[in-house]
Amino acid sequence: MKKTFTIIASFCFVVLFAQTASNLTEFKENIETQKVEAKDALKPYRYDGSKVTYFNFKTYKQTKEVEVYLFNNTDYRFSFNGKSLPNDINVQIYDEDVTITNRILLKEFTGIQGKNVLVETTELNKTYETKKPNGGRLKRVFVSYAIPGVPGAENKQPTMKERGAMVLVMGYKI
Amino acid sequence: MTREIFKLSMFAFILGLLLTSCGNSEPDDTGLNTIDTTNTDGELTEDMFESPDADYTLPSPLQVASIFKKSGLVYHSNITNPTTNGDKYTTELRQMLNFGVYSADMAYCVLNEQSNEGRKYLTVITTLAEQIGMEAVFENEDLMNRFDANLENKDSIEILMIDIHVRTETYMDENDMHHLSAVQFAGAWTEGMYLGVYDYEKNKKKENLGAQITEQMSILRNIIKGLKDPKNAGMELGWLITDMENIQSAFDGFASVVAYYADENATELILTDADFKALGDLVKALRGKIINA
Repeated sequence: MKKTFTIIASFCFVVLFAQTASNLTEFKENIETQKVEAKDALKPYRYDGSKVTYFNFKTYKQTKEVEVYLFNNTDYRFSFNGKSLPNDINVQIYDEDVTITNRILLKEFTGIQGKNVLVETTELNKTYETKKPNGGRLKRVFVSYAIPGVPGAENKQPTMKERGAMVLVMGYKI
Repeated sequence: MTREIFKLSMFAFILGLLLTSCGNSEPDDTGLNTIDTTNTDGELTEDMFESPDADYTLPSPLQVASIFKKSGLVYHSNITNPTTNGDKYTTELRQMLNFGVYSADMAYCVLNEQSNEGRKYLTVITTLAEQIGMEAVFENEDLMNRFDANLENKDSIEILMIDIHVRTETYMDENDMHHLSAVQFAGAWTEGMYLGVYDYEKNKKKENLGAQITEQMSILRNIIKGLKDPKNAGMELGWLITDMENIQSAFDGFASVVAYYADENATELILTDADFKALGDLVKALRGKIINA
């Protein structure tokens, strides 16, 4: 009896483990597909790099920030892919990092869930010039993801429905 | 008999519970491929699907080379790291660093229309990738044939270089090797700065080039941050971090830099020739340590 129980319990553990692995593999594969989609949307800008920001929706609000360099007065295009988001988030782009209290908000948008959105630095530079005359051109920006709280989310042991990722692909004008 | 029925009932109940778990379409992922740490509130604070709150991007070696090229950098032969040095790099750290160094050299050659030189660098990069365990980046596609077929077409070779960069990024992403990208980039950054500084000392039209060298300094803080990732702890990076921190400290201490950050309205940071000399000496010393295993 004990032996039978052990065999069945082990079998179920293996099935559970395999299913979890499969879900995570699918999650990663989807992100790779979205990265390709975001990269294709960069054209005719030349690909420079990507940054995938992973997070888990929790019961409270969170913020994740990515610093992006803008070199040599070059124009850049950012391709944001939100197709791995189980819920929508708010995307904000600033001239400084979160520690600077009077930083300038250059752009903000929502509705990224399930979509690919493009942002160009020409637009960000125009806003910057308006909000900070004589500030020169932006040399870097900070992309801030405001992740809303989700009631009932599993804070300690996130499930697949709480896992999210934002794909950001950068390209520069040739 | 009653006891047997009780055992069977318990077994059926437990089995039912287990099978319910097996059939759950959204199981907990905890315990698989995750590195968990728990904060004082008992909440999950880190796993491989949880990015840090403050993160950064690093430019590709091709873009760094492109920036310098656009700023008037002139090509000098025989200043890149000789490909014959490739055999000297026997530790993982040296291989990673010089993978970055050679990537920068390849970009430098390709952008300056030295495709035959660039081809040599592709060969040594491929060898180092095999040694690092990243041979998959160069598998399934004959990059060398593609390179040869486009020797005269700079644009196609640049696209090939971007493909290599994308494949490297994807490989590192899939294999949870983000922490190592800072090590590779440290090599690429040092070599890029070395090539820039070398030309700055020789080039008469060096104003723009100087501005780009200064601009590249903005990345250093994040490279150091990346090198200090706890996952890199076993790589004996102490000497590299120390040297890079010394470069950062020297730069932060330049009077021109102090004045720039003190002036809220300053838009351009311009270093003096003495600053460039001091910066260049430090970069050259570090580059020497990296390429001379």
